[in-house]
Amino acid sequence: PYTVTATGVTDQEATKVVQLMNMVTPEELEDPSEYQEIWEDVQDECSKFGALVDMKIPRPQEGNVVPGLGMIFIRYDNTDDSLTALKALAGRKFADRTVLASFYDESKYEADEF
Amino acid sequence: PSENGQRKRRSRWGASDTKINIPGLPTAISSTMTKEQREQYSVHLRIEEINRKLRTGDIVPHERDRSPSPEPVYNAEGKRVNTRDARYRKKLEDERQHIIEDAIKRYPDFRPPADYRKAAKTTD
Repeated sequence: PYTVTATGVTDQEATKVVQLMNMVTPEELEDPSEYQEIWEDVQDECSKFGALVDMKIPRPQEGNVVPGLGMIFIRYDNTDDSLTALKALAGRKFADRTVLASFYDESKYEADEF
Repeated sequence: PSENGQRKRRSRWGASDTKINIPGLPTAISSTMTKEQREQYSVHLRIEEINRKLRTGDIVPHERDRSPSPEPVYNAEGKRVNTRDARYRKKLEDERQHIIEDAIKRYPDFRPPADYRKAAKTTD
């Protein structure tokens, strides 16, 4: 019934950046205190899997289409850690939603190309 | 869980030993898929998730994800109509409607679920 079937990830694809989907809605991100809580929740949990370098959670902007809105990007120091994180996080629940995880190109991440 | 409302809030993360595994719907997906494919897949997964919740009656979220209850509303027979179950059911149905409409706008080749019906009129 699905127009898009998903291909499973392979270890060879690993980059330092993990893209997380289906965790937050734009409405939740609009609220500054909720945004802050989401940030802390993600940071705390994702630090458990390795050296978390930085992360990005695009936030809504009035009247603008924000690329990557509703997604969360986390960057690790190395691909061993990001691989561990991806495997641990995919399928976990976040705010009662199922987390989807994928690797993401590091230079695109740096350039905010989402 | 904390007493007396101290700032010891619970994380949004579910238990680390509880993973969701829906057959045919992987959660660790390949970056060889295009951006649009991944986004559309995410929409489909969410729709499937909502459908399951509605089907199995797993409607009311965990306490930390709940909003304050509104004043009760009763029908002519004195039965409460805005029960917690009814409110969250409507919330899920509205979310499903919204993400499908949004996906139709964003992805020209997006095919909505077979049971999808266009809303007669949007109120917002």
